[in-house]
Amino acid sequence: MNSKNLIEIKNLEFYWNNQDEFKIQINDFSIQTNEKKLILGKSGIGKSTFLNLICGMISPRAGDVYVLSQNLSSLKAWELDKFRSENIGVIFQEFNLLDHLSPLNNILLPCYFTNKDLNKSKDRAFLFGKKLNLNNDLLRKSNSRDLSTGQKQRISIIRSIINKPKIILADEPTSSLDFDNKNSFLNLLFDICNEEKISLLMVSHDLNLKNKFKDVIAFESFFKL
Amino acid sequence: MKVIFSLAFYSLISRKVSVFLTILCVSLSIILFSSIDNFRQSAKKTFFSNAKSGDLIITSRSGEIESLLYLIFQIGTPTNNIRWKSFKDIQNHPDVKWAIPISLGDSHKQYRVLGTSSDYFKKIQIKNKKLEFYKGEHFKDIFDVVIGYDVAKTLNYKLNDKIIVAHGISSQDFHDEFPFRINGILKKSGSNTDKLIFVSLEALEAIHKDWQGGFKLPNVKSKPTSFNKSELVPKEITGAIIKLNSKIKIFQFKRDLHKYKSEPIQAIIPGLALTKLWQIVSFVEQILFLICYFVIFITLLGMAASIYTNVNQRNNEIALLRVVGASPRSIFSILILEGIMISLTSILISILLMLLLNIILNPILDREYGIYLEYNFLSTYNIIFYCSVVLISILVGLIPAYRGYKKSLNSGI
Repeated sequence: MNSKNLIEIKNLEFYWNNQDEFKIQINDFSIQTNEKKLILGKSGIGKSTFLNLICGMISPRAGDVYVLSQNLSSLKAWELDKFRSENIGVIFQEFNLLDHLSPLNNILLPCYFTNKDLNKSKDRAFLFGKKLNLNNDLLRKSNSRDLSTGQKQRISIIRSIINKPKIILADEPTSSLDFDNKNSFLNLLFDICNEEKISLLMVSHDLNLKNKFKDVIAFESFFKL
Repeated sequence: MKVIFSLAFYSLISRKVSVFLTILCVSLSIILFSSIDNFRQSAKKTFFSNAKSGDLIITSRSGEIESLLYLIFQIGTPTNNIRWKSFKDIQNHPDVKWAIPISLGDSHKQYRVLGTSSDYFKKIQIKNKKLEFYKGEHFKDIFDVVIGYDVAKTLNYKLNDKIIVAHGISSQDFHDEFPFRINGILKKSGSNTDKLIFVSLEALEAIHKDWQGGFKLPNVKSKPTSFNKSELVPKEITGAIIKLNSKIKIFQFKRDLHKYKSEPIQAIIPGLALTKLWQIVSFVEQILFLICYFVIFITLLGMAASIYTNVNQRNNEIALLRVVGASPRSIFSILILEGIMISLTSILISILLMLLLNIILNPILDREYGIYLEYNFLSTYNIIFYCSVVLISILVGLIPAYRGYKKSLNSGI
């Protein structure tokens, strides 16, 4: 395993029991520090499954996934959950905020499952809130129901970096955004990743995003299906 | 744990309407159970405490429970009388500390008239307290009467008011030639004595001088002033309350009385007779409790169904929690905790409502039935009951929690 690689995948094979046509096979894949990669592919082709394999939500049938030189298959279930919350930030499709929690608590969710100092994490949340034009009152709102799309975007970005992860996995975060919002979201995400020295792996079906990334992989051609 | 608690709490808050309705259902079913139990316990306590003054009840031979209910609680129909001579024999027995005669039969405006001696007010205890006078005192003259608190309140009677006693419980025949003067009003005791009218045995003898076999003799009319107290010795009484010098002798004395030769007499141990009575009604009690437990179970099952349905709509939440580091066990715990929170809140609300209900219902139950509800939510029985509600909620909550657990194993980005 190359120590420069944040994520390294070797000879991975994955298929679902009840889906004969679906199979992912990755011989060699890696992401290095500060790298930003976009994986493009059609909907339903297995992009999210690929991200789930990287964050250990599902285990490969064969092969290994290394994150920060740690072979995920060697971790116990609870170690894997903790490892994920401490080292991997995730941005969901449509941001996936819990409406019944305050924006601040949405941001702090990953911190609740680690041993990190919650007060320091709160300070970090407010700091990034300020940077991204989300004032403290807004973050302390009793729930997240009435937030605008822009506010949701920014909160989901802060949530993904709150535990100072080394990598962010983003699953089609721009799929429901218009052109302007898409651009501003990506700019914001890149800025934060650069500032915090975080690598980014984004999957999307949106070909327009090609120009935004230096490193673009076509899911179908790169991974044997 | 704090996180799990917060997540469960906020999740419930976000579904406040459905959660509120679930809590309401569970609370009402707990109240149903608690009310029945509270009423049962209070009625039992009231009955037992009212019958505790004497060691034995003496009546003519008849059903023990029937006799006890009639003599002590004035419930049911009259039993046969015992002769005054028999009573005096028993009263003068060396083992007897005191004996209080009781004669029932007449009434005043549906309130029972109880003939007794003035010792009744000194010896009889209700809920471990002697009877106390709210106003006035016990009867001094033949036609003095002492009335219970409820009688005075309901009929708006004051001291020195005159009342007429009717012959029998619903008779149209009045002893109107012998008006009684109210000489005392008892303090509220929360027992059947609040609804009694007490007269002396001499007075009862006097007003029945012109009566024979339950009918008034024609063309005979005694006057209240024509009686000498020493001449008015009753021939019969309904029964008596007996206190012995030593409790050890209760069973021997009871056996001896059953061998009494002059007439068939029975001695009843009030506590035992009431226990027998409770054993008879315990079957109905058990059925009621079974129904109540069933109601609670069904309500909690409804709660589980509501959480289950909700789990199916919470894919995103479960996925997010898993991705940010929550284990499937945490998801399971959140869902179990939601059930526990609902049941605990329901218990708390039901306790508050029960206390409120007691404040509202106590005056009515006390006035109508002489039962004073004493709701002790910290009693061992209630604590066991509340724990069982929580336990049932955990058990039925296992269904949605397992569903959430399974879902969380397959959820992700």
